[in-house]
Formats: sequence, C-alpha cells, structure tokens
Amino acid sequence: MARTLRWGVGLLLVVSLSIGAFLLLPFRSWLPGGTVGDVPLSQVVNGTAFNRLFPKPDDGDQLVFTQEKRGFSEARLKHGGQVKALLAISDVTTAPEARRKFETSQSRLQGWPLVEQGPQATALLVADRFQIKVIGQGDGLEAEQRQDLIGRFNLRGLAALKSASAPRASLPSGPDSAGRQSLERRAAMEPVS
Amino acid sequence: MSSVLERLDRLPRRNLTVLAIKGLSTLVPGGWHNITSADDLISDVLGSSDPELIRQVRARADALSRARHEGYGRALSLYDAVNRSQKAAGGLRLLANIGGALPLVKRVADLTPTSETLQAADLSLKVAAEMLAFTQVNGLPGDSFGDFVASLSEYAGEARVRMAALICFDALLPLGDQALQRLNSLLGGVDKRDLHQLPAYAGMAKLLPGRGDGAHLTFLRRGVDQWLGWAGGFSSQLGLTGQKAVQALETTLGPWQGGFQQMATFLDAFTDTYQHTGVQAVARRLVERAAAEI
Repeated sequence: MARTLRWGVGLLLVVSLSIGAFLLLPFRSWLPGGTVGDVPLSQVVNGTAFNRLFPKPDDGDQLVFTQEKRGFSEARLKHGGQVKALLAISDVTTAPEARRKFETSQSRLQGWPLVEQGPQATALLVADRFQIKVIGQGDGLEAEQRQDLIGRFNLRGLAALKSASAPRASLPSGPDSAGRQSLERRAAMEPVS
Repeated sequence: MSSVLERLDRLPRRNLTVLAIKGLSTLVPGGWHNITSADDLISDVLGSSDPELIRQVRARADALSRARHEGYGRALSLYDAVNRSQKAAGGLRLLANIGGALPLVKRVADLTPTSETLQAADLSLKVAAEMLAFTQVNGLPGDSFGDFVASLSEYAGEARVRMAALICFDALLPLGDQALQRLNSLLGGVDKRDLHQLPAYAGMAKLLPGRGDGAHLTFLRRGVDQWLGWAGGFSSQLGLTGQKAVQALETTLGPWQGGFQQMATFLDAFTDTYQHTGVQAVARRLVERAAAEI
C-alpha cells in the first residue's frame, strides 16, 4: 500500500512539474503559429534594411514611413497632405505564393519581372526574393507613373541584400526551382555594386 | 481567436457607439465613414474590386493576423482590456449616480473611483495603450526618431475622429475644458495605489516597458507628455470644448439635459468607441500590408 502511494505521489510530482514547466517556462515561442507561415524569423530580412532603398521624393512630395516589420517596410508618398501612393518592399520568403504571378510575366524592368495587379497596383520581383509594390491611392496613378516610381527604388542595393543574407537564409527549394535558377543566373549577370 | 478582418466584419453598423462617433465626427473635417466590411476596405486600398485579388489579400491578412509574433492580436487585446476597464468603471459610476440616494447602495458610491486623478490615470492608460498598439501593429517605422514621430502623427491624422473621441470623451467632458493643460499636474498626483484601482492596468502591466509600478508610471507620464503636444495643437485647431462635444453628440443621440460629467459616465458605460475605432484602424494597416505582400 505504501509502495503504490509512493508511486502515485512520484507520478503526480512528475506530471505537475512537466505541466508547470510547460506553462511557466517560455515554451510558447516554440509552438507552431508564432511567425508568418511558420518561417523562422532569422530567415527573413528585417524591414530596417529596406528603408534606405526607397526612392527620394520629388520636390513638394513627402515620403512618410508607416510600417516596418520583419520582412516588410511600407511608406506613403504624399503630396500636399494627400496620399498619392503606397510604396512597399517585402521579403517573399513568408509568402511563396506571391512569386507565382511573376512566372508568366513578359515585361521586364531593369531585368526583373514586372506584373500589373488590377488597375492601381504594380509589382516587381527583385532577385527572386524581394517584392516591390506601388499601389496608387486617392485619384490614382497611371501605370507609367507607377513603373517610374518602382524604377527609382535602389534595385541594385535590394538585390545585394539577398547575397548578404544568403548564408543564413537558404530558401527551401520548391517545385519552381528551375525557373528560379534561370532567374538566379540573370541575377549573377547583373553587376553588383 | 477570430482574426482582425473577422472582427471588422462583425462590427455593428448602427448602435449607440456608431451614433456617438457619427455625432462627434461632425466636428472633424473629413468626417468619418463606418467601415464594417473587410471586402470594401480591401477594394478601397487596392483600387480594384476583382474578387480573386480580394480573396488573396484576405487570405494573406488572415495569415498575418494569426501569427502571434506579428502583434495584430496583441493590439486588439490591448483595446479589449481598455474597453473592459472603461465599461466597468463607467458602470460603477453610473450605479453611484443612480443609487447615491438609496442607503443600501450608498456604500457603492463611496467605493467608486470618481476622483479626477483616477480619471487622468485612465486617460494616460488609454494613451499608452494607443502607443503600444501602434508599435505592435506598425513596428518602429523609419531610420531616425524624426521618421518615427512623422509616422506617429501620420497615424494620428488618419485616425482623427478616433483621437477627437479620446480627447472629448476621456479628457474634456470628465475633466473640463482645461483638461489637457491640467493633465500634467493631475498625473503628478497619481500614485501606485491609484494605478491598481484601474482594471485595465492589470491586463496591460506586462506589456508596458520597465519593471514595477514606478517604471510604468514614468512611462505613462512620458507617453502622455508626447501625446499632449500633439493633442493640444489638434484640439485648439478644431476648437474642441466640452460644450461643442455635447452639442455634436446631440445631433445624433438626441437632447441631453445632464451635466458634462454625467455624459462622460454615460458614454463610458454604454459605448465601445475606443474598441470600435481601434479595430478599424488596425484592420486598415493590416490590409495595406497584405495588399503589398500578395
């Protein structure tokens, strides 16, 4: 009897300790669902690195940064208090499905694939990793104006971020690896400043 | 837990909260549009009503708001905590107003936090919650402090009606027209005991930077200092006063015979202004991000 009691107490102790450890110790961050698409944060380029690559605004225009997260940075282009466009750079590591739309794209800007999304949004994929997007707001922008804005981003600097982060952030190879290789070859041909 | 866009879809289209904000928005140029449909918000940001694009943005926004690390859920729970606290305090004060005459309920009246210091502490908690929610949702945008301040005032300008509601409902009505000027000295009188009387503090304490009540009080005072500079300019630019706020509210809520403080109590107890506009503000930023990432 005393023996079963001892076992019982021992078992109770072990169970309560493990439950307590799970609740009290910071195990929560190990659980899935903490990050976007369950991609570890270290594999995503921090948004701070994108800020200096945004275009310099024209006279009379104003660039106000509005969001900066892991793998994302966004700014508003304003003119006299009115928002003209949203400018954003994002790391597509957490959103692989965003790559798909570029596969069929025919148009190129400085060698990178360009896609129009609806009447007000234009996207460019740099180094198969970073997406630049310009979304017209308010009265809207013409497609040429949006493409002109995208061209004024520091695209070389952005492509260079990939090699800088490459040793840490190896991308998981997907079914579209063939398409990516050809893109990477193109990236290698681009002179890196 | 429901995602940000699901909560946006569930917001009321017409109730006391919406009427109160509608009334107040007559004081703010640009007015206020009660956005309660995620699809409308997405097509507004994207400038397109293509159902396939909207579906993609929505899926991305849900994935972002489900990720704990991204802070969207945390921002909403901050607003919820503040809202619960406001309702509890408002309900108690209402009870005290009604039951002040009855001997049995009179003890409740003695317990209720009606003092101006508590009101000031409550306002500072709301301002702090606003700033914490801002950093949870937007990170720390820009490379310099100047960039960050510009980003903060951009956010405040976008949420003008929300800020006007905060100034009118939580400062001018309960504390009088000189509230913003007096707030600093009122906050000086707040001590740790007052802080613990606020239900929202318990929920927010672990999100505030610094350890211990002392550090939290310092953070609240500094945060309010920053906000006061902006709020002072904003309210003098619009000429906000308690009188004007009540008149604006009367256009939608009907005539009001009571005093300013009773109006504040009534609004605290029966409306969710802070939560309602908070969900809308978070949803817009989330959709702007999701639209850029698809």
